[in-house]
Amino acid sequence: MKKSISFGFLLAVLVAIFFACQDHAVDPGTGPGGTTGPGSGTGTMGPGTSSGVSIEASLTVTALMSNTTSTNTTCSGSTGLANVVCLTNAFLSTLDATQKNTAQLTYSLANAQKWSNLPAGLSARYGVNLASLTATQLAAFRNLMVAVLALHTANEGYDEMLGNLVADNVLYYAGGGTTYGAGNFYVSILGTPSTSGLWEILFTGHHYTQPYTFNGPSGSGYTPAFRGVEPTSVVSNTATGQSYQSMEQERVAFAAMLTGLSSGEQTTAKLSSTFSDIVLGPGQDWKFPTTKAGLRVGDLSTDKQKLVQEAIKLYVNDLDATTAASVLAKYTSELANTYIAYSGSTSVTAQNDYIRIDGPSVWIEFSYQGGVIIRNTPHPHSVWRDRTTDYGGTK
Amino acid sequence: MKQLFFPVSRPIGWLMVFLISLLATLLPDVAFAHPMPNSVVLLNVHANRIEAEIQIPLVELQAAYGHAVNDSSAGLIERLGPQLRAYLIQHIRPQTPDGRPWNVSISELAVQETQNPINGVYRELTAQAQLVPPVGADVRQFIFYYDVVLHQVVTHKILVSVRQDWARGQIADDQPVQVGIISLDIVNNRILPLNVNLESGSTWTGFQSMLKLGMRHIAEGTDHLLFLLVLLLPAPLLVHGGTVRRFSWGSFGGVRYSLIHLLQIVTAFTVGHSITLLAGSLGWVRLPSQPVEILIAVSILVSAVHALRPLFPGREAWVAAGFGLVHGLAFASTLANLQLDAGPMALSILGFNLGIELMQLVVIGLTVPWLILLSRTSAYRYVRIAGAVLASIAAVAWVIERITGQSNILTKSVEQVAGYAPYVLVVLALLALFFTRRMKQANV
Repeated sequence: MKKSISFGFLLAVLVAIFFACQDHAVDPGTGPGGTTGPGSGTGTMGPGTSSGVSIEASLTVTALMSNTTSTNTTCSGSTGLANVVCLTNAFLSTLDATQKNTAQLTYSLANAQKWSNLPAGLSARYGVNLASLTATQLAAFRNLMVAVLALHTANEGYDEMLGNLVADNVLYYAGGGTTYGAGNFYVSILGTPSTSGLWEILFTGHHYTQPYTFNGPSGSGYTPAFRGVEPTSVVSNTATGQSYQSMEQERVAFAAMLTGLSSGEQTTAKLSSTFSDIVLGPGQDWKFPTTKAGLRVGDLSTDKQKLVQEAIKLYVNDLDATTAASVLAKYTSELANTYIAYSGSTSVTAQNDYIRIDGPSVWIEFSYQGGVIIRNTPHPHSVWRDRTTDYGGTK
Repeated sequence: MKQLFFPVSRPIGWLMVFLISLLATLLPDVAFAHPMPNSVVLLNVHANRIEAEIQIPLVELQAAYGHAVNDSSAGLIERLGPQLRAYLIQHIRPQTPDGRPWNVSISELAVQETQNPINGVYRELTAQAQLVPPVGADVRQFIFYYDVVLHQVVTHKILVSVRQDWARGQIADDQPVQVGIISLDIVNNRILPLNVNLESGSTWTGFQSMLKLGMRHIAEGTDHLLFLLVLLLPAPLLVHGGTVRRFSWGSFGGVRYSLIHLLQIVTAFTVGHSITLLAGSLGWVRLPSQPVEILIAVSILVSAVHALRPLFPGREAWVAAGFGLVHGLAFASTLANLQLDAGPMALSILGFNLGIELMQLVVIGLTVPWLILLSRTSAYRYVRIAGAVLASIAAVAWVIERITGQSNILTKSVEQVAGYAPYVLVVLALLALFFTRRMKQANV
C-alpha cells in the first residue's frame, strides 16, 4: 500500500514536470517579438504581415471613400504645400497613440522603398491599413487624398485610385480572399510634415502606390508611382453604382501612340527583347538605363508627338492640377529628347505587350501580363518614375 | 530546445546539454521559398562534376522559346525533347576562370506542376544537367554563363543555389544556399555571367557531416530509439514459465546477466541495420519507403507486447537483428538519396553508421544504468508495463499515420513528448534512486 502511494507521488511529479516544461516550450513563440512599433524617433520596425481583411471592411472603405467633397474646415485657409501639411496633421490628429506610432515613421529611403505590386499580405507594408481606420479617421485621410489627387475626371486621379480599390474588392470574390480588397491598402507618413523639411506621404496597396515626397524649397517628388489593375473589365462600386476601368485609358493611349507611327518608325521603336513585366518595378530603384532605346520623339511629326504627350498626361495629371501642371511643363520641354519603345504588338492587347517612355526625366513602363487570380486574361502593371525626383531625389 | 533544465547530477546534466545543443545546431535555420516566375538552378557539387537541377517556368520559357511549350505542355518532352536539350545546352555554358568551356549534357527532362503563394499554380520544365569541368580544372570555381529564357525575356531572373556539397558538409536535407542571381544588368542593358566561387571542402568535412547526420538520425528518429529502448526494457529480467504455463517476466537476473543480454540485443540490432544500410545505400536493395516505415512501427508494437509478456524469450537478439534489417533500409534511403560517387558514398556509409552507433551508445549509456537499478526493485513492474503500454499506443498511432499518410493527434503528441526526453530520463533516474534507497532501507 505504502509502495503504491509513493509510486503515485512520483507519477504526479512526472506529470507536473511535463506540464511545467510545456509552458517553457510555448513561451518563446507566443511572447511579443523583439521588434516593436516604431517610436517617433526610430522608425525601424519590421512590417507586420497582414492577416487579411474581411470584404465587409473593404466595402465600407470604398463606400466612405466615394464622397469626394472635403469635410475639412480647418485647412481651407492654406494652399499648396502648407495645405497638404495641414491636412496631413489633421489626419494624424485623428489617430490614437498606437495608430499614430504605427502610421508615422522616420523618413529614410528604406522606409520609402517599402512598396510593392503585390498585396500587403504577400509583401508587407508600413503604416496603418484603411480597414483599421474609423469613419472619422478615414474621412480625414480622404480629405488629404482629394487634395493631392485630381478630381472629377473619370478613371484618372482620385477616381482612378478609387476604381483600383473597387477592383481589388472584386479580386476578393474572384478567389483572392481576404488578402485582397480596399481595406488592405496602407498609408504611412515618413518624417514630420512641414513646408521646409524632408517628409513623405506613402499610400500603397496591391495594384496602386502613390508617394508624395516633399523637401521644402529643394522640391518635391511624386514617384515611383505604381499603377496596375485586375480585373481589366468594368467593375462597379457597390455603394454608388459608379463604374470603373481604371487603366483602360492608359492602354488605349499607348495603342494610339504606337499605331499612329509609320511602319518605319515602329521598326525603330520596337525592342527585340521580350518583357513579361516592367523592368524598374519595386526594389529596382535608381537603375535607369544609361542608353535610351527606341524612337526619339523629337524626330516625329507634331501630331505624333502629341500622342506621346497624351500618354504621359494620363500619369502626371493624376496629381492635383497645380502640381500636375508644373511636372508636365518639365516633361513637355524635354519631350523632343524623350524616347518611346515597345515590344510585342502595337495594339496592346496581348500578354507581354510592353511600352516604355524614357526621357531626360520621365520614365514610364506599361506591361500587359498574365494574372494570378484571373487567369488567361492579361492585366497591366505600370510604373511612373523620374530620373531625378524619384523619392524626392533620395538615393 | 529552449526549456530550462532542472538540477540533475552533473555528468548527466552536461551530457544532456551536449545532446540538446547538438540538436539545436543541426536544425535548419532559414526557410527557402521557391520564387517565381524565376528559374531556379540547384547545384549538387561532386568531386569532379556538378549535377544541376534546373527548374524553368513554362510560361516564361514559351515567351523565350515559343513552340507553345506552356499552352500545350502535355507530351512536351515526347514532342520537343531533343530540341529542348539542344536549346538548353546552347544557353548553359559554364567556363573555367581562364575561359575554357565545361562540358554540359542534359539527362532527364520532365514537366511538373508546382505552386507558390505569389504566383499560384504553374507548370515548369525540370532538367537534370551534368556540368563537367575540363580535366584538371577546379569544379568549385567557374564562370557561369547561363541565359536560358533570359537571352530573350529580359525581365526573367535565375536563382542559383547549392543544394548539396558533400565536401563542405552540406547535404540535400539542408536548406539550399544561394550563390547568386542571374538577371539583366538594367543600367548597362547586358547579361553578366555569375562568378561561382565555392569554398573548398574536404573529405574529412564530408565524413564529419555524415557522422553528425547519423547521430541526428537517431536523436530525431523517435521510432528507432523507441524500438531499441522498449526491447531493452525486459532485458534485465528472468523469464518464468515455459512448457506448462505461459511465459511471464520474473525478477532481476543479475547485473552480469543483464549486461550480456543487453549487449547481445544491441549488437544484433547493429548488425541487422548495418547490413541493409550498406546494401540499400549501394543500391543493391531498394524497397519503397512506405512499407518499410510501416514495418518499423510494427517492430515497436511487437517489442512493446514482448515487454508486457514474453513472446520470444531468449530469442530477443534474433528479433533485434531481424527488425534491424528493416530499420537499416530506412537509414539507407537517406544516403541513397544523396546520389554520391563511390568514394564519398563509402565514407558516408561508414560515417553515417558510426554516427548511428555513437548516438545509440549515448542513449543506452544514459538509460540502461537506471533500468538495471530499477529492475532490481519491485517498482520495475510498473515502469515496464507503463513503458510498454505507452510505446504500443505510439506504435499503433504510427502504423495508422504511415498507412493513411496523415498525421494524427497521437503521433503529433509523441513528437512533442520526444522533445522532453531529457526530463523523462531525469524522472527515470529519480525513480531508480528513490526505489533503490527504499529497498536498501527495507533490507536493513
